[in-house]
Amino acid sequence: MGRLDFSTILRGDHLASLGSSVLTMLELTALTWLLAMVVGIVLALVRMSPSTLMQRAVAVYVEYHQNVPMLVQIFLWYFGISTFLPQEWQQWLNHHGSEFFFAFISVGLAMGAYVSEALRSGIRSIPSSQHEAARALGLTFLQSYRLVVLPQALRIALPALISHTVLLFKNTSLAMTIGVAELTYITREIENESFRTVEIYMVATVIYLAISLTIMALGSRIERRTSLAGR
Amino acid sequence: MTDILQILRDYGLLLLVGQYPNGPLGGLAITFAMAVLGILLAFPLGVLLALGRISPFALFSWPSTVIVYVARGVPLIMLIFWMYYFLPVATGRPVSGFSTMVATLVVYQASYIAEIVRAGIEGLPKGQMEAGRSLGLSYLQTMRKVILPQALYNMVPTLLSQFISTIKETSLGYVIGVNELTFAANQINTTLLTKPFQVFAILAAVYFALCFSLTLITHQLERTVTARRASAPTRGVPQVQPAVVIASE
Amino acid sequence: MNTMNHASAASPLISFEGVNKWYGDYHALADINASVGKGEVVVICGPSGSGKSTLIRTVNRLEPIQKGRICFDGQDIHARTVDVNKFRSHIGFVFQSFNLFPHLTVLENIMLAPIQVLRREKTMARERAMALLNRVGLAAKGDAYAGQLSGGQQQRVAIARALAMDPPAMLFDEPTSALDPEMVGEVLQVMQSLVRDGMSMMCVTHEMNFAREVADSVWFMDEGRIIETGTPDEFFARPQSARAQKFLTDLRSH
Repeated sequence: MGRLDFSTILRGDHLASLGSSVLTMLELTALTWLLAMVVGIVLALVRMSPSTLMQRAVAVYVEYHQNVPMLVQIFLWYFGISTFLPQEWQQWLNHHGSEFFFAFISVGLAMGAYVSEALRSGIRSIPSSQHEAARALGLTFLQSYRLVVLPQALRIALPALISHTVLLFKNTSLAMTIGVAELTYITREIENESFRTVEIYMVATVIYLAISLTIMALGSRIERRTSLAGR
Repeated sequence: MTDILQILRDYGLLLLVGQYPNGPLGGLAITFAMAVLGILLAFPLGVLLALGRISPFALFSWPSTVIVYVARGVPLIMLIFWMYYFLPVATGRPVSGFSTMVATLVVYQASYIAEIVRAGIEGLPKGQMEAGRSLGLSYLQTMRKVILPQALYNMVPTLLSQFISTIKETSLGYVIGVNELTFAANQINTTLLTKPFQVFAILAAVYFALCFSLTLITHQLERTVTARRASAPTRGVPQVQPAVVIASE
Repeated sequence: MNTMNHASAASPLISFEGVNKWYGDYHALADINASVGKGEVVVICGPSGSGKSTLIRTVNRLEPIQKGRICFDGQDIHARTVDVNKFRSHIGFVFQSFNLFPHLTVLENIMLAPIQVLRREKTMARERAMALLNRVGLAAKGDAYAGQLSGGQQQRVAIARALAMDPPAMLFDEPTSALDPEMVGEVLQVMQSLVRDGMSMMCVTHEMNFAREVADSVWFMDEGRIIETGTPDEFFARPQSARAQKFLTDLRSH
């Protein structure tokens, strides 16, 4: 295999594209995460409503997003659903990074399903006596959830949420298949241009590992800070 | 709607079995083959990796830990590219896309299974190993006869769940040109060009039908196991559930 | 009072020579020098944290030592040539928390090690296991699982499991401490029957009546050292050290 030579890939232009691809990846991850959290919380709350229709709707949403591959969901959005958008929207998107947008939407909506399941599991594990005690003190339904049930449910759901965050981060790399210039995309480009396959793949792997491990470490730290004695 | 039926009629077979018998097998058949091979090989490897992870010998624990962390911390698509370029170099022979995908899926799934098995092993009381050793059983004997039977007691729903994940992961074979279901759908789309939504909706529906039915079977299995345990609460194992639902896809 | 005093000082079965153990900076066992003769029954007592469990766990190498020597049947148990698994099969160990294998039946629990380690044939192992179950008074429970038995029954199975290896010595680490009071008696009875049959025994326990009736020696430990040894009569009636006196007073006032 010969000696490793990192100098070519760490040259100015390659370094610049590496840097910007990492930024793109981080941007995509952050925005997608926000979308997923919002969607997840909304879905979890809707699922608690007394209407069976609403509950079924959320169940269908969750099952769809958990049983169809992420790649296929991205394709469906980017190639399929995009054609149903009004022409002006499509044109606007094409000029403003439609690939990024559709990657963001598809991964965000999909991970929202996972988040809602984690929250639902956490909420279900809090005995109803907690909610009853809060209501008995005079708190409203929403207050009881906000101040008593959700804080405890979130702590229980935390390990799953951290795991889903890492999964979300890794799923954003699939955006490369529709042309988003994130890390994997640029890695292949640099590899094609410089032929230094081992070196560039090692760099990309280290970057991915560093971020995954950081997320997991952050998650552990949050878990420890918020854990209740005896739980 | 008629579009969809038309597509199914014209291309349904392509989606299911590729160009067979007029060409190589493809489509859903290949997807299924990769997933089955993947999970069958991943399970034993996963148990080995778990044992390696908890081994006090650095010779075993170091490589196992590295493999598990890399497989879980790096996106699957990146692992696929790694394998795609380095398997031929390592074996000195050309490696088909199919084999590359299976190899990647095996390592990827084994890493997730390893963590689940490891949690199961470490969740058992320490006294179990001590009791086995005190009777004169060796470490491996105690593992084989006392620890692993308890840790792996309820692996079937877990393995089924990982199998479903593997099916979804096979879709990434598309990026290295493996003729599986997603690749077949893309071929149809490039041929038709005017009906992308219908094609990809069919694609999603096929995966959904397959994975959802397997999910229902998994739920049923879990219910049966819980029911059996409730009626005979004293037989067998202190159930150790991994606290984290480790979704790999 | 054990009237059949088999204690043979000439060739001890188990001996501790200058044994020391540290957990990091904490000196868990300090300068232990003592021995157990063939057929001798030693009860080890003392306040919690005194190192009693640690000491008994060093005998079958569940805990390592940093200094000194432990000999079993004349041989250094830490010698390079010693096969630790073979060695452990010669000493029976009974845990405070029983540690039965929940995925196996009672009979399978007892048969496991004789088949795997002593390479006994299955039918012979089963017969032997049934005989041992009979001996501990649980003949009908062969096909039950641990979870279906009471604590006292589980501990008796644990004793049978250890006996299945035909060990010349048995170690008991607080065998009745995890049991409800009404079940303590049935376990002590089994242990007493072992003594009557000449078993060599080291037993960490708080059951002072058991010590009085069955032990040949009592070792009193505190802060990792053996402070005082003596026959049960001597120890209980006339404890020499202040610490032993305090310990016995505290014990009696319960």
